[in-house]
Amino acid sequence: MTFTSPQKIVLEVLYLKTNKNWSDIISTVEFNHTGELLATGDKGGRVVIFQREPESKNEPYNQGEYNVYSTFQSHEPEFDYLKSLEIEEKINKIKWLPQQNAAHSLLSTNDKTIKLWKVTERDKRPEGYNLKDEEGKLKDLSTVTSLQVPVLKPMDLMVEVTPRRIFANGHTYHVNSISVNSDCETYMSADDLRINLWHLAITDRSFNIVDIKPANMEDLTEVITASEFHPHHCNLFVYSSSKGSLRLCDMRASALCDKHSKLFEEPEDPSNRSFFSEIISSVSDVKFSHSGRYMLTRDYLTVKVWDLNMETKPIETYQVHDYLRSKLCSLYENDCIFDKFECAWNGSDSVIMTGAYNNFFRMFDRNTKRDVTLEASRESSKPRAILKPRRVCVGGKRRKDDISVDSLDFTKKILHTAWHPTENIIAIAATNNLYIFQDKVNSEMH
Amino acid sequence: MLAKGVKRPRGEMEGGDPEPRDPSAAPASSLFNISMVKLHQSLRHVEPNLRHLVLVANTLRRMQDQMQREAGGPMAPDSPEAPSVGDDLLLSAMDSSISTILEDLGQVEVLSPARPEEEQPLAGASGARQEPARTSAPCLGPLELLSSASYLLEDSLEDIFEDIDTSMYDCDLWSPTSLSGFKAFSGAEDSDSKALAGAEDRLDMSDLDYLMDVLVGGHPPGAHRGRSIS
Repeated sequence: MTFTSPQKIVLEVLYLKTNKNWSDIISTVEFNHTGELLATGDKGGRVVIFQREPESKNEPYNQGEYNVYSTFQSHEPEFDYLKSLEIEEKINKIKWLPQQNAAHSLLSTNDKTIKLWKVTERDKRPEGYNLKDEEGKLKDLSTVTSLQVPVLKPMDLMVEVTPRRIFANGHTYHVNSISVNSDCETYMSADDLRINLWHLAITDRSFNIVDIKPANMEDLTEVITASEFHPHHCNLFVYSSSKGSLRLCDMRASALCDKHSKLFEEPEDPSNRSFFSEIISSVSDVKFSHSGRYMLTRDYLTVKVWDLNMETKPIETYQVHDYLRSKLCSLYENDCIFDKFECAWNGSDSVIMTGAYNNFFRMFDRNTKRDVTLEASRESSKPRAILKPRRVCVGGKRRKDDISVDSLDFTKKILHTAWHPTENIIAIAATNNLYIFQDKVNSEMH
Repeated sequence: MLAKGVKRPRGEMEGGDPEPRDPSAAPASSLFNISMVKLHQSLRHVEPNLRHLVLVANTLRRMQDQMQREAGGPMAPDSPEAPSVGDDLLLSAMDSSISTILEDLGQVEVLSPARPEEEQPLAGASGARQEPARTSAPCLGPLELLSSASYLLEDSLEDIFEDIDTSMYDCDLWSPTSLSGFKAFSGAEDSDSKALAGAEDRLDMSDLDYLMDVLVGGHPPGAHRGRSIS
């Protein structure tokens, strides 16, 4: 692994939130479209929304911090009586809707049910009712001698979150992704074998647009692992599979998009072939670039950038932790090889980021081809501390502060990461800790 | 369970570490063990993680292809890598195991409300296919079938070996507990966790070595006949 310095992005710690409860393992992180809000979902079915404080005029270089804005219980554990099975309340994904009025809306989903939540602020309340007094008790009418018009008076800010829609009974298998369409009217939800298209206002039905369930389940060899709508073309979406392929589908072509418009697949490398080839090629996340021209995929050992115009192979491949290639057997035994890491673009699509083990996360600059490994740990995360680049050594010459491959902690995995839509601010979920880092040197996109 | 009769020095086995330096050098048999354990653990859930299940099943198929290719090549019968009677049974059992497991999954969905527009009278169809329910919830399809099948097999195990003259082999090899792994590959998936889960229950390799010697080397017809039943 190459280590390069100096880094274009120098990250400092902005915020650290720790949850002591085991059920507070963060399971998803998502910025809204302006980056003002950051939502996290956890294993206990809770959603916590952070809001960025406006920049202080006194210190223009002191970027706004993120503070807790609202916390609510999105999903509760449910019991499916037919199958005698408990449906986990863990939030698998959160997606924000583009803001259309003063309220913010987001979709959150567990394995089975998607919910639309509306987040509103209340900072004024009416005072001076004619029939009620200040505590709400009815007045004695004989004491009312004149009429007054109630006026709105300021009050302490109250954030209210209400469930507006519940999209239930759409999925037999476990929902792994949701994606809001650019038309702002529809969204899709994908489980292991099917993808459904919903209208945001209609909860009692959805359209099935992809179905890869074979007629005989014994022929099942592939499942859907992630899916996303194109950021600009409301008719296009992509879904990835456990075999490492990507399928771009056009909803104008037919109602059921079982036939892909484009199939993106890289042939297996014969020199690296092993029993685990398929498992490590399984795509765990797919993200369109902001431009809509590229796709980013994450498989077990690499992140790849694909050009929508070229189906035969990715245009760029970055090794996340190639030193694990010789450890696949034990990673298979302890199930780590099945971990699903996410990936993210920065706002200008020039840098990509993904998580790894030992609370490491990696960033790759597509232009300079530099990469960096950083660690999200409590020890190195005092407020305003600068993150130090880390290095994993695979034997041979070992520098000071290098971590050896054998001492990596595989229980500390960074599966969920998010990048602010326009600025160099990132949110990293490390088990039950949330880290927010920002670029100290240059907060604008480069 | 009948793994390939690979003779290894005792020192090597004592490590008990299935992790090799080079993944391609990993003994296929131990990877196979691990994979079967994973499959069974997966199926213990009412709603297994499909991605995990499919990936493990596909990996098992890859191993099967590999073993079949090895079995097809010309090799000396005494070499450690020689295919044996056990291998063929393994392969055929594995094939049917994987297919049956996935087929049972199809039943799970049949019993659950799939989509709002797919309401069908499913109870009758599924009831006919299933063994008498051992649990109150009829939808434990695959798990139920597994436990039912193994329950039946357990009874007949003694019958299978009744006519074998085992007086020469006064050991515990033929007792049901020693062959608990064998049940798993006799055409039925065994949900008996004792058989496969936990290091303490792993089959004694030296016992299997002895067994393979008996089968591949000189052996009385009785034992051979018993062995080929599966």
